[in-house]
Amino acid sequence: MRVPDHPILGSAPAAEKVVIEVDGRKIEAIRGEPIAAALMANGILVNRYTAKRREPRGVFCGIGRCTDCMMIVNGIPNTRTCITAVEEGMVIQTQRGKGDVR
Amino acid sequence: MNRSVDVAIVGAGPAGICAAIETARRGARVLVIDENHTPGGQLFKQIHKFFGSARHRAGVRGIEIGRELVDSAVKAGAEFLTDSAALGVFPGPRLAVNVGNEEAIAVSAKRILLATGATENAVSFPGWTLPGVMGAGAAQTMLNVNRVLPGNRILMIGSGNVGLVVSYQLLQGGAAVLAVIEAAPRVGGYAVHANKIARAGVEILTSHVVTEARGVDRVTSAQVAKVDDRWTPIKGTEREFEVDAICIATGLNAMTELARMAGCRIVHLRELGGYTPWHDRRMCTSLPEIYVAGDAAGVEEASSAMEKGRIAGISILEDLGFIAPCDAQTERDDLWKSLEALRQGPFGNTVRRGYDRLFGDESRCSSCTSAHRGEDFMVGSAPRKAPGYPSDTRLAKGPVAVIECTQEIPCNPCESACARHAITVGDPITSLPRLDEDKCNGCGRCIAYCSGLAIITIDAAYSDTEALMGFPYEFLPCPNKGDEVSLVDRLGKPIARGRVMRVTKPMDGTRVVYAVAPKELIHDIRGIKWQAGGESQ
Repeated sequence: MRVPDHPILGSAPAAEKVVIEVDGRKIEAIRGEPIAAALMANGILVNRYTAKRREPRGVFCGIGRCTDCMMIVNGIPNTRTCITAVEEGMVIQTQRGKGDVR
Repeated sequence: MNRSVDVAIVGAGPAGICAAIETARRGARVLVIDENHTPGGQLFKQIHKFFGSARHRAGVRGIEIGRELVDSAVKAGAEFLTDSAALGVFPGPRLAVNVGNEEAIAVSAKRILLATGATENAVSFPGWTLPGVMGAGAAQTMLNVNRVLPGNRILMIGSGNVGLVVSYQLLQGGAAVLAVIEAAPRVGGYAVHANKIARAGVEILTSHVVTEARGVDRVTSAQVAKVDDRWTPIKGTEREFEVDAICIATGLNAMTELARMAGCRIVHLRELGGYTPWHDRRMCTSLPEIYVAGDAAGVEEASSAMEKGRIAGISILEDLGFIAPCDAQTERDDLWKSLEALRQGPFGNTVRRGYDRLFGDESRCSSCTSAHRGEDFMVGSAPRKAPGYPSDTRLAKGPVAVIECTQEIPCNPCESACARHAITVGDPITSLPRLDEDKCNGCGRCIAYCSGLAIITIDAAYSDTEALMGFPYEFLPCPNKGDEVSLVDRLGKPIARGRVMRVTKPMDGTRVVYAVAPKELIHDIRGIKWQAGGESQ
C-alpha cells in the first residue's frame, strides 16, 4: 500500500507513473523506485522460490545484501529488485531456482 | 576509465560523507563510491529527530542532516560515484569498482577509507524466511524512502532503539503495530522511545519470543510465547497474532568484506556488533593505507558515525601532509571529546567497554559495569520524582511544562529550546533535564524540540474542574479545534474524553494539540487518540 500523505514527509512528490509487466500481468509503478517497492505496493510479496526446497522468498534486508528479493528482470536472473530501479516497460519474472546465466 | 585520487571513500553514509567534507575542503582530491542511487546512506530513512547536542545536530531529523551533509560535501569539492559498487581492494591500494553495472574500473588512491556501514542481524525461528518477515531497516526503507507500507498488521521483534523507533514510524505511516516482542526481561532502547509507542497503544511484551511464523506464500500469523530466565518458551503461554508482516530489529554487525579482502586485521568485539576491523584512535586499520569509520568501525549510531568519519578524514589529511601533525592531534582530541559525550551514560556502557577493549584500555572497563539505566524504568510508570516534573503547588498555579525524561541519555535540545532558560541539562549532556518551575510559563515551545517527545504542558488552573493539556502530535489525520478526542494514559488506554481547543502549526513535523481534560487525571493522561470523522478508536 502506498502512503500518499505522511505527517513528517508530507505529500508524496509528483511521480512519473509507468507500466511494468510481472509474470505476464501489467502493474503500475513509479519510474526510479526499486522494483521490490513497486511489487510490494501492488501486493506482490514473493520474489523467488529457492532451488532446493522451492520455498518462497521476499524482501528481507531491503539494501541489496541478502539476495532474497532476486528476480528475472528483462531476462537477467539474480537481479536484486530492492536496489534496481523501475523503468518503463520492464519485464519481470518470479525466479525459480538459480536462474540460467548464459 | 581508471581513476587516480588522493582519497577513495567507500560508502556515502554519514561517516563517509563527513570524511569527504573534511578532506575535500582542505584540497584533497576525494572520490566517494556508493552502490546506491543517491548518497546519504541510511540517513534518508531516519525521519526521527536525532539525540545528542547541537553539535551532533540534535533535534534535527536524520533526513534533513543527510541533505545538509551531501550539500556540504559537494560544495567542498568531493566527487560522488553512485550506482557503483566497490568490488574489491587490491595492493596499491586500488579499488575495483563496478560503475553503473556497465563498466569495471580501477581507482588508485593514496588512502582508502572503508565506511561501508553495517547490516542487520537476523533471528531464525520456524517460518522466518516467509515473505513478509523482514529486517526493521528494510521496512523503514520501504516506508520512509519508497513510501510503501510493508504491512498493515505488524509485529516487531526487538525493543532496542531501532525496534522502538521503526515501530513508531510504522504507526506514522498508518500501520497497526500489534506488539513489540522482546526476549530480554526489559526494554532495550530508550524509555522515551518506548513510551511514545506505548502511549499509542502498542503492547511491549518483554520476556517473549516469536516461536513460529505461519503462512503459505506470505506470513499470515505468528505465535508468541513467554520465556523463562533461560529464554526457553514456557508451554501454555502461547499467543496467536494475525499479522501480514514481522519486522526483525535484533542489532547490527559491521560490514567487513572489503577490510578482510584487503588483509586488515579483524577482531571480534561483541559490544560493537561482532567482527570489526582493528583500528587505532586515528581510525587507521592494521594496514597504514586503509582507514575505517562509521558503523564499519563498530556499530553505534549515525551521530557517532559522523564524528568517526571526521576523525578518519583528519588522520588521512595528516598522512598526506595537508595538515600538520600537531593540528591534526588538536582536531582529533576535540572530535574524541564529542564522541565520548555521545557514549556517556548507562546506554553507552556497552559501546565504551567495546572500545576500551579495542584500544587496550581494559583497566577502564571496571568503571562501567553497573548497567544502571535510570530508576527501574517500567513502561507506563509515572516519573513524579523526575527533576523535570513540577510540584503540585506549581501545577496548581497555571501552565507549566512536565518533562518525563528519566534516563541518562545523551540529549539536550530542550535546554536551548527554552527562551526563559527554565530547563537545564548542563554537563554532562546525559544529565536529566531539570525544570525551574518558577521560570517556566508553560509556553510549550520545548514540546516539539524534545527528540523523545517526552514533554507536555499542563494548565491545571484552566477552570475549577478542567485542565488544559498540550501534547506533541505526529500522526495523520490531525484533529482540529473543537474536535472531541480520547485522552489516553501512558499505555494508550483511553481514560477520558476531551475537547481540542487549539492545534499549533507543525514545527518541523511536530504539532502541539491542546485539549481540555478532567483535572483529577492530569498525572495520568499523556496523549490523545483521534480518528477522522470524530470517532475515537
